[in-house]
Amino acid sequence: MAERDEIQRFTMAERLIHWAVAITFVYLVLSGLALFYPSFYWLASVLGGGPVIRRWHPIVGVAMFVFLLGMYLQWRRDMKLDDLDRQWLRQVGKYIRHEEGVPESGRFNAGQKLLFKTMSLMGLLLLLSGIPLWFPLRFSRSLREWSILVHEIAALVAIGGLIAHIYMGTAVVRGSMRAMLTGWVSRAWARAHHPRWAREVERTP
Amino acid sequence: MPTVSLEVKAISAATTPAPGMKEAPRVAKLIDVSSCIGCKACEVACQEWNDLPPSVDRPFTGSYQTMPDLSWNFWQLIKFNEILRGDGRLEWTMTKYQCMHCADPGCLRACPAPGAIVQYANGIVDFVQENCIGCGYCITGCPFDVPRLNPQTGRVSKCTLCSDRVAAGLEPACIKACPTNCLSFGTKEKLLLIAHQRVEQLKERGFPNAGVYDPPGVGGTHVIYVLPHADRPEDYGLPKDPKVSWTLKLWKGPLKWLGHLIVFGGILGAFVHYLRFGPHRAREEDTGK
Repeated sequence: MAERDEIQRFTMAERLIHWAVAITFVYLVLSGLALFYPSFYWLASVLGGGPVIRRWHPIVGVAMFVFLLGMYLQWRRDMKLDDLDRQWLRQVGKYIRHEEGVPESGRFNAGQKLLFKTMSLMGLLLLLSGIPLWFPLRFSRSLREWSILVHEIAALVAIGGLIAHIYMGTAVVRGSMRAMLTGWVSRAWARAHHPRWAREVERTP
Repeated sequence: MPTVSLEVKAISAATTPAPGMKEAPRVAKLIDVSSCIGCKACEVACQEWNDLPPSVDRPFTGSYQTMPDLSWNFWQLIKFNEILRGDGRLEWTMTKYQCMHCADPGCLRACPAPGAIVQYANGIVDFVQENCIGCGYCITGCPFDVPRLNPQTGRVSKCTLCSDRVAAGLEPACIKACPTNCLSFGTKEKLLLIAHQRVEQLKERGFPNAGVYDPPGVGGTHVIYVLPHADRPEDYGLPKDPKVSWTLKLWKGPLKWLGHLIVFGGILGAFVHYLRFGPHRAREEDTGK
């Protein structure tokens, strides 16, 4: 298969951990919205009722953090911003409007790298602020008040990132979804979206 | 259940206004600390009327207090405090402590479960345990540290101001039991009048700082106190200036709308971007299909 026109973009381990984070995160977003905003409380009924999500949201949260930590360790070297990435970020408008002249990306583009860093940081903040909310009786009231605020703001940033990520990965950059499911992309896809990475892979067969 | 006969004014986590239409006289409990003798008859009456099991699991700490603190099955407590006044005199205060039934209840604002906390038109704030999810946000939202979680059931409870008795035209059990008239029950207007008269009496008797405790930071309360030293409510175990916290107001106000903006705005924004720019084609036929 690889001899033909395909190159491997994600290993089985990478895909597994990505989807572990994804599935736990989607559950956390849905149950979290129910716990935070009355207008989303109907999500609680879909997920088994208020007491059920109150019990499972923190447990799944810890699971997500463990997966996220694995994902962080796995990709952190690939996610370092270099000079071309910084140029990319300065010209992000062109990327959004699909114009020519965007600096070439490596294995991940600068937008993906920023998303990765943002999500990792939010994951950490959500874990730390989530613990006092999980065990309210063991922490002071002022710490719980701050935790609610931090938890909410971090969650909103993460939800914004999630919406952008799903949209880019399914609708905009066609072939990304297949890459994350099967692990493989065409050489043409690699050259189009991640030219520096494509050259690197082609150099080392 | 009390919800049948009492007019509802506010419901936790509601997305629409409460159904209540009728006005009801605002009720209040007045606690005149200067005439409390610490007999704890009110504690017993509360346990008895509400059929609460005794909590015998906590060790006796050598205090006159029945319990160190409130608990899910112990909704009111006479706090005993020994205060050394400036002139070297020792004062022994006995202060009944329970839910204050705030006009602007932080617990109700914080609660994410629809209908788990209701406020009746008469001012009583009541927990409806069957709708409670046990998250404990009400404990965080309460500036008086009153709601208590039952770890076995995962439900929170507190003083109901005997909403069941009040709905039937009776006074709360604690008031019925009080032998010194330290406790009284009635409309808030009338009780404020009585409270201020009592404050005047106390001032004449050498308590220049006597005053009424009806903290404005929570919109006033439906449990009000006459304190001989109202300048130092901490001496009685009452918070000096309780407020609905700004974090709670931020969370349930502007941040709520920011959240909706991110969720719906994000989805809408993505859709409009797709309509305008479509999928990314870096070079023709490079889409990897």
